[in-house]
Amino acid sequence: MAETVHPLAPPRPARFENLRRGLYRFRRNPLSMIGLILLIFILIIAITAPYIVPFPEDAAGRVRATARLTPPNETFYFGTDHVGRDIFSRVLMGTGLALQVGVVIIVLATSIGVTVGAVAGYFGGWVDDLLMRITDIFLTVPALILAIAVTAALGKGITNVMIGISLVWWPGFARLTRSLVLSLREEPFVEAARGIGAGSLRVLFRHILPNALSPIIVKMSTDFGFAVLNAAALGFIGLGAQPPTPEWGAMINDGRAYFPQRWWVATFPGMAIFIVVFSWNLLGDGLRDLLDPRARR
Amino acid sequence: MNLRYYLLRRLLLLIPLLIGLTLLTFTVSRILPGDPVGLAAGPQSTPEIRERLRVQFGLDQPLPVQYISYIAGLFSGDWGQSLYSRRFVADDLRVYFPATLELTLFAILIASGLGIPAGIISAIYRDKLPDQVVRVIALFFVSFPAFWLAMIFQSILGVSLGWFPIGKRYDVLLAPPATITGLFTVDALLRLDFSAFGIALRHLFTPALVLSFGALASVTRITRAAVLEALDKDYVRMERAIGIPYRVILTKYVLRSAFIAIITVLALEFGWLMAGAVLVETIFDYPGLGLYAVESSLRLDFEPIMGITVLYGIVFSLVNIATDIAYGIIDPRIRYG
Repeated sequence: MAETVHPLAPPRPARFENLRRGLYRFRRNPLSMIGLILLIFILIIAITAPYIVPFPEDAAGRVRATARLTPPNETFYFGTDHVGRDIFSRVLMGTGLALQVGVVIIVLATSIGVTVGAVAGYFGGWVDDLLMRITDIFLTVPALILAIAVTAALGKGITNVMIGISLVWWPGFARLTRSLVLSLREEPFVEAARGIGAGSLRVLFRHILPNALSPIIVKMSTDFGFAVLNAAALGFIGLGAQPPTPEWGAMINDGRAYFPQRWWVATFPGMAIFIVVFSWNLLGDGLRDLLDPRARR
Repeated sequence: MNLRYYLLRRLLLLIPLLIGLTLLTFTVSRILPGDPVGLAAGPQSTPEIRERLRVQFGLDQPLPVQYISYIAGLFSGDWGQSLYSRRFVADDLRVYFPATLELTLFAILIASGLGIPAGIISAIYRDKLPDQVVRVIALFFVSFPAFWLAMIFQSILGVSLGWFPIGKRYDVLLAPPATITGLFTVDALLRLDFSAFGIALRHLFTPALVLSFGALASVTRITRAAVLEALDKDYVRMERAIGIPYRVILTKYVLRSAFIAIITVLALEFGWLMAGAVLVETIFDYPGLGLYAVESSLRLDFEPIMGITVLYGIVFSLVNIATDIAYGIIDPRIRYG
């Protein structure tokens, strides 16, 4: 990107210097590196799954009546389920869906939460009071139960699962953003921006929020895994993607009746959820050390 | 401001919160699509039957009237009636709430029993091997899907090894201890009935263990951070300099100041676990609020869901108030205001 350098510009913005130092620390943290590598690996699987799995048509509801509940063997690496579908193919094909669900929930929850929190923290007064009381109400509701109730009322399906979970997920982001904005609001650089006549929205989005980004990113990364976990939980209850979609939670539910004698039906989708969530947690733990100065000790 | 005045103010603040909570769940239950009456009346019902049901449950009234009569009922102990089972919600809650409370309390007990020592070890051996091991283990356990882990524990501990019951709250062939508090283990102890205590405890163990994993990571992490922060204080350096044994410093000074943070996270996790008990209860067929909530949700039976939400709201708020009071007991410098 071509940039004209102003003669009075500082040699190098402090933010980049911090980033460089952060990257150095990140590389030295073995756990977060393992998390990152696993996530890249998972992403590659999600993209390439339709081309590399042995039986891609099994994700679309093919039935193999002669091969029901086959234990893992050299044809079906993870065995087959109650209608004879290859579990290996279905687990891999379900990766993309799980990641999409996580992305949608986190993006929705972050957009709502950050907007509410930023407006409440910046404008203060009755706006703050009103928005925070609403946030408190959402925080008091048992999250999973409300998500289940909303999804059930909207009707089964993966889209409604994402809506239901996002609806209970934003208050955490609102609380966090508000506290960050409250402390940044009084910084000299914000006063300076206001002093040269910048409007509220410009100050908020151009000067305050960029400086509040680190803790929000940390929360997004740690929450991502739990969003996937909760979506799978709703799938397990039967509210999520409907058959034959290869949704991990629903697949575990399929295998529940055959556990533990036919352990493979439920075990492999469960392992898949675990690996995704664990990777995000490893990454999030590393990012927290990196970006959140209070936790760095 | 003295304690009594503070308590009164906090309890009064519960009222607007409850109004907000009921408004929220009421909106969800009445505005969203879905046909609860159709579901309750069954697929073969005629329009007349559905209409009669609607009148009987007051669903033909305008929404504000429905809401106000719900609130009025709430204060007089009538928490509504299930559209599906026709049972009174308040009666159901009286049975299911102690079950979930008992499960959550045991899970918190297990999580703090494992998490607090782990966090202390982590802090003492900061950045060394034990620290890394503890952190990985904590992240490891919190990453499992609870419903999946519950299934596996149930079949290993319950079916294959036969050490623990596979579900329910009590032996189905026996009568549970007569109700005093509704917590079976506590009731059994109060009546000095140790065999009943054993039965209840064995039923609790596996679900509570699985549930506790959800809180383990954050309890460990907060304990570690709080102990590290306390260890860094000047008074600790001074105490070490004048030769007070490390063990004494740790238990007498460091842990005490770390406890504020630990109590905070335990209170938060208590709320999370109570809501998270939904999945564990489903697997273990444990007759608590979670199972009740799931079954009611799937039937679009909203009166129980509203009752559950209100009850949770009250419990969360009371736990928060209790936590704030505990701060003052741990650290006498804290004033209520």
